[in-house]
Amino acid sequence: MVCIMAKSSFKQIQIGGVVTCVPPLEKCIDDEVELFGGNEKQIARLKKTIGLDRRRVVESGTTAADLCEAAARRLLNATSLEPEAIDAVIFVTQTPDYSQPCNAAVLHGRLDLPKSCAALDVNLGCSGYVYGLWLAHMMVSAGGCERVLLLAGDTISRIVNPKDRSVAPLFGDGGSATLIQRSKCESVAWFSLETDGKGFDALIVPAGGQRSPSSAETQVEVTDAGGNVRSAENLCMNGAEIFNFSITEEPKAVRDLVEYAGLDLDAVDYFVFHQSNRYILSNIAKRLKIDLAKVPIQTVERYGNQSSASIPSAMCGELQDVLCGAETQRVLLSGFGVGLSWASVILDMAKLPICEIIESAPSE
Amino acid sequence: MSLAKFIEDFEEAVEDIEPGSLTAATKYRELKAWDSLAVLTATDVIEMEYGVLLNKKSFESVTTIEELYRFVLQKQ
Repeated sequence: MVCIMAKSSFKQIQIGGVVTCVPPLEKCIDDEVELFGGNEKQIARLKKTIGLDRRRVVESGTTAADLCEAAARRLLNATSLEPEAIDAVIFVTQTPDYSQPCNAAVLHGRLDLPKSCAALDVNLGCSGYVYGLWLAHMMVSAGGCERVLLLAGDTISRIVNPKDRSVAPLFGDGGSATLIQRSKCESVAWFSLETDGKGFDALIVPAGGQRSPSSAETQVEVTDAGGNVRSAENLCMNGAEIFNFSITEEPKAVRDLVEYAGLDLDAVDYFVFHQSNRYILSNIAKRLKIDLAKVPIQTVERYGNQSSASIPSAMCGELQDVLCGAETQRVLLSGFGVGLSWASVILDMAKLPICEIIESAPSE
Repeated sequence: MSLAKFIEDFEEAVEDIEPGSLTAATKYRELKAWDSLAVLTATDVIEMEYGVLLNKKSFESVTTIEELYRFVLQKQ
């Protein structure tokens, strides 16, 4: 049977630069003995097995919009683009400034983008960067947009309970800006996009939306069977389910997309996966039998799981030299997580005028 | 595949368990080393070696290692 999923391909569209902004404040699991009830052995096991280490987190006044604004300013500056050159802005986030209006509109104002520019948010997390790229490709392909600014960022550290060992040491913050533009290059971008909404509650903030509005009750902290503390307004993750989802769906999605593109795995120079953790990434690589040298994996150990910003963060932090180099690189990007949702793209990148990590200014 | 091999794989999957220290009758969920991390590593090894993907509920549905082994066989 032919596997049916949302697949599409585009020509003559390319990534024209990417910047990722991380906050300056670093936390390390070694400094959190108290969170683990003095159990240093457990910390050592988490470091060794899962690869938990350092992460960057914002201070309380900073949002994903702030991080993405800094990234966007650097990107526009480095590509010598005036705000008028941007035809659409897409903001991918799970942690917007307001329940309305959308972050894209807020940043449209802050970046002085023209009134002729479309602006919308996408409510996705770890798969969201690839979904955003797909939307941007469609906008350019459909005509009317020459250049799309894709902003993808999250501050998940602000929605985890600091007393919840199942999520607090995992997540870091970050905001990215990527330029997608029409080009004369003949290369093709192949996308696949998938969803399993039956798993909607495997990674969820249960309260604070319309289904269960914020109240005194939803703010009550509850201790679960494992001794972790969280309220209904905190992020809650079923780690085992997410792990099972990742190791079954991801390798399959990658194989299917490579086949759709008429390529084989060897034809891909780099596999940039959502930086969930080292254990999941090495597991996916093992199942695909791909060389770990082609799989950026250090980003999550440096910055934490940055949700929608993790793929651009890995591109900027680990592939800067090759993506800015003269030789064309065929790269597969793949995100997976909250939804459950997963999406992959194979595209070519070369001679990026900018591909770098910047730090946001410390808040005053 | 055999029960002996399954026990070996299980010992290798779960950290801090000495090789040869478990038997078919071991109630694995009562082991000190059995925690959420052990669930992940055991899931991983059983999926790789036996092609069966267990979830938390399947681990909770049986008691001894031999029962887990039979459960995996049944699912194959």
